[in-house]
Parts: sequence; C-alpha cells; structure tokens
Amino acid sequence: MSWSGVLKSPKADEESPAQTDERELLARISRGDLQAFERLYRLYQPRLARFLTTLLKRPQLIEEVLDDTMMVVWQSAGNFRGSSKPSTWVFAIAYRKAAKARARWPDPVEEPEFDNRVSEDALPDEDLHQERLRTALLKAMDQLSADHRAVVDLTYFHGLGYREIADIVGCPVDTVKTRMFHARRRLKQAMSGSLVDWL
Amino acid sequence: MADPNLAERPPHDEAEELLPWYATGQLDEADRAKVDAHLSSCAHCRQQLALEHQLIDEFQAMSPEVESGWSRLKARLETPAPAMAAPVAPAMRRPARPNPLSELWALLSRPAVATLAVAQLAFVVFAGSLLLSLSKPSYRALGSAPAPAAANVIVMFRSDATIEDVRDTLKLAGASIVDGPTPSDAYLLHVAPQQRATALAKLQSNQNIQLAQPIDGARP
Repeated sequence: MSWSGVLKSPKADEESPAQTDERELLARISRGDLQAFERLYRLYQPRLARFLTTLLKRPQLIEEVLDDTMMVVWQSAGNFRGSSKPSTWVFAIAYRKAAKARARWPDPVEEPEFDNRVSEDALPDEDLHQERLRTALLKAMDQLSADHRAVVDLTYFHGLGYREIADIVGCPVDTVKTRMFHARRRLKQAMSGSLVDWL
Repeated sequence: MADPNLAERPPHDEAEELLPWYATGQLDEADRAKVDAHLSSCAHCRQQLALEHQLIDEFQAMSPEVESGWSRLKARLETPAPAMAAPVAPAMRRPARPNPLSELWALLSRPAVATLAVAQLAFVVFAGSLLLSLSKPSYRALGSAPAPAAANVIVMFRSDATIEDVRDTLKLAGASIVDGPTPSDAYLLHVAPQQRATALAKLQSNQNIQLAQPIDGARP
C-alpha cells in the first residue's frame, strides 16, 4: 500500500522530457546561442528567484545573485558534462553564488518582526488561521540557518529528492536528511503553536 | 539503494527521516518500500506524514519572492531627499548596494536617533501636506464623476508590512489611498471626516503603521 503521491513527479532517476530539452538548450548556449539562453532564463528565473529569496535576507542581493548565476550559465554551459540534471547544475551555481554574497554581505542583524501582523477584525476565522499559520511558518524559517532553509525549500517547494539536494548544496546525503529532520521539527512546532494561538 | 551506513539504524528513525521525500514522491523504489512497510505499523509516522502534506501545501502556496521583490522595488522607489538623509547616513555609510532602507529603519528605531527620527517624520508630514496642496488640481478629471475625496491623513507603513497588511489596515480604518507613495514612502489617505478621530486612533495603534498623522488640506 502506498501513502504517498502528492507531487506530480516522475520516479527518481528518470529523465523527464523537460530535462532533455534543458540539456539541448545548454548545448546550444555553449555555442553562443542567445535565443536558447533566453529560453533557459525564462524557465529558471522564477525558480531561482524563489530559491534565492529563501537563501538571502537582503532583497537587493537576490537580483544580483540571480543575474550572476545566469551569467555563469551563459559563460560556462560548455562545462556542463551531463552527469547531473541541468537543474542540479544551475541550482548548485546559484547556491554557491548566494553563499559568496552572504559572506560579503552578512544577513542584517535586525530581523523584520513577523509576530501578530494580522488585523484580527478584518478576516474571517478560517483566513485568520491561515494567515497566522503562514506567519508562524515564515518566522520559523527565518530562524533557521540558510543551509537548513535551502534544504526545506528544495524539498517542499521545488520537489527535489535528497540526493539531488546533496549535489546542489555540496554535502553528504545524510547531512541533507539531518538538516531536514531538524528543520521539520521547528516548522511543526511553529504550526502547532499557531494552532494553539488560534484556539 | 540504501546507504550502507544507514543499514543498522532503527526502521522507525530511518522512515521518519525519509517522510518528506516520500510525501513528495521523490524516493526510489527501495526507500519507498521501506517507508510503506513502516507506515503500515506506525501510527506516529502516519500522523507525521499528514503534517508533511500540510507543509508541502503551505510551501507551495507561499510566495516569499513576491514579498521580497516588492520590498526591493519599493527600496528603489525610495529616494530620500538629501537634506533628510544627511544627518543619519554617515554612521552607517557602506557601499550602497544592500538594503540601505531597512538599515535606515533599524537605525531610526534606536533610542539614540529617536530625536532625529521625530524630526524626519515631521518633515514627512510637512512634505506630504505640501504634496497634497501642490497636487490638488490634478485630482479633478475632465468633466467626469465628482472629484475624489481629499486626503486628511498621512501614514507611513512599517517597512516590513506586506501588501496584505496594507490592505487589511486600510479596511480596518475605513481609509482609502488618495496619493502616494511620496518620496519618503508615505501615503495620503482619506477617511470620512466625522470618523477621522476614530480612524486615526485605529491607525496609530496598528502594528503595521509607523506613523499616522492628521493633515488638513484646506479643502473647500
């Protein structure tokens, strides 16, 4: 009996048609094909924006790191050897670029306050609960390290497997599992806390 | 295949660690079979799996990049007048790129610069009133519906207020935006004149609001 099956995703290790297309785009980009690069940019911009937003607390850096990442893709598409998925390669570049940017510009010391920004009278109960839950989760994410946030986002939003995540962030698979385990505990605490507040 | 160094771990721990990827359908056959087998006998993990599904839904529904993109764009719109920026800037002057706005706010919220902040806010009110008086005629469209309501309140939202916060705050106070953002990111609002005191009190006590002041545009 299977209890899973949430995200529409091919079985792990199977190459999807999208990945085949992306390989082809990378091959064309390595020959200087600007049209192919634009297509790849349009495919990746939203995903990278999301990923980098998770990693970087300074909004101004996101745009810069995203551009830098895509510039590396443009300049070194010829180095993509095809042993990994194209997405793994691109996300790994973004992850390294983000780490460098954070080293140059550490996260701001004073974090935005997330608590209780919901106007209690304006929302029906259901929406209010939803708002509080989301606020609690954002706050919990905010308190995690960038490495933990990356693993959470790559798992829950981008739907990647732990091996691919390990390749992107450059650590052993066990470390990915451990980070995820720790992060989930914090997120679930935040969820139950928000429920208690609501009741 | 399972990692050799995981082989001796209790099945419960191993399965629990794999639950997120089980829930997203990202496990290979061997891992999935292990989790399936464990779930059939572990109520705790079944409960955890339900939470995993909820977390996936939440993360799919969130859009932090929209919030972040908005604050980035808002920061670009923010071009403080030199006279205002000069007194507070030197202590924190760094190469300009990362987030000068939020650092400015952080600085402003410290006691040592509170006085300066008050002066700056006063300037914002003044500038807002000035803007209001300068821009009055443009509110009247040619031969169309009655002129839009006059602004009688100026507010600044907290720098981390989301668009939802702004919307909810306005609804709560019964206010509508007449103009803005001003160069200092203030907004001019209209509230029903007879409700102004109540609306102001609501705005001033609202956590999304940095500043709310009455202004009288000396409207006819």
